[in-house]
Amino acid sequence: MLRGEDEDASELKIGEDFLKAKCLMNSEVAILLEHRYDQMKQMSGDSTPLPQVFEKSLQYVKCFSRFTNQGSVKQVRDRYQLAEFELAVIGNLCPETVEEAKAIVPSLKTKGRGHDDEAVERLLNDLLMIKKFE
Amino acid sequence: MFFHIVLERNMQLHPRHFGRNLRENLVAKLMKDVEGTCSGQHGFVVAITGIENIGKGLIRDGTGFVSFPVKYQCVVFRPFKGEILEAVVTMVNKMGFFAEAGPVQIFVSNHLIPDDMEFQSGDMPNYTTSDGSVKIQKDSEVRLKIIGTRVDATEIFCIGTIKDDFLGVINDPASV
Repeated sequence: MLRGEDEDASELKIGEDFLKAKCLMNSEVAILLEHRYDQMKQMSGDSTPLPQVFEKSLQYVKCFSRFTNQGSVKQVRDRYQLAEFELAVIGNLCPETVEEAKAIVPSLKTKGRGHDDEAVERLLNDLLMIKKFE
Repeated sequence: MFFHIVLERNMQLHPRHFGRNLRENLVAKLMKDVEGTCSGQHGFVVAITGIENIGKGLIRDGTGFVSFPVKYQCVVFRPFKGEILEAVVTMVNKMGFFAEAGPVQIFVSNHLIPDDMEFQSGDMPNYTTSDGSVKIQKDSEVRLKIIGTRVDATEIFCIGTIKDDFLGVINDPASV
């Protein structure tokens, strides 16, 4: 297990469990939580209060969702060989320039990964197109 | 950051719940016990999305309860040091401000707020730049970087900064 002092998302040190896990963008979480919310309402009716953690998370993802078309966003990931975590951060924050993208996902700058400025720019443009046309 | 992971737990069930609805009772108990809890390793379990496998039950010696190993899929929220994310400001005071990202609370100390922002007290305490162009107050949306996390029994608490490049109040003209 990764110790607290060793973890650092800016270097993609998030522990093997999470590196291999499916990382969810806020938009995807919104879909899952809405579905669960409907289930909960059916099971216990409107009277039972929702657990606070659930309610806060649902409010948060609805507020900070940027995409509705998840399929295309996944295609972009495969094309550019990003870790799930990196793609989720970019998808959630929608950086507009290459400089901004490299600042919020510092692990992109790691040498030897082949992510030069042009590649990052193409990635951002692809995401922008997806957002425009969904 | 939200993740979709598979977790495992041993659920104890009293024989009164056996019968046709054993599985439903087990799943209901799992949801009641686990949703909303928090651990240092996995973060907050926000919602269970499915059951992957329920193993054979083992009768516990001495009590008669039966222990079922259950594998389930769930959405968890786990903040990481070094992660950059967006949050909503909930309280502002002269020591800094508190913000919430989902179930997690983040504190940004005034030492980690840019020097050109000053605290203004009043009905709506806020941090404002000298020219008044940028303001942080309750309900403002900010982008911050987590620089430390602390876990106690029931929640995770984070410390953040907005002093780096591309951090701070989110101005989103598209939302207007």
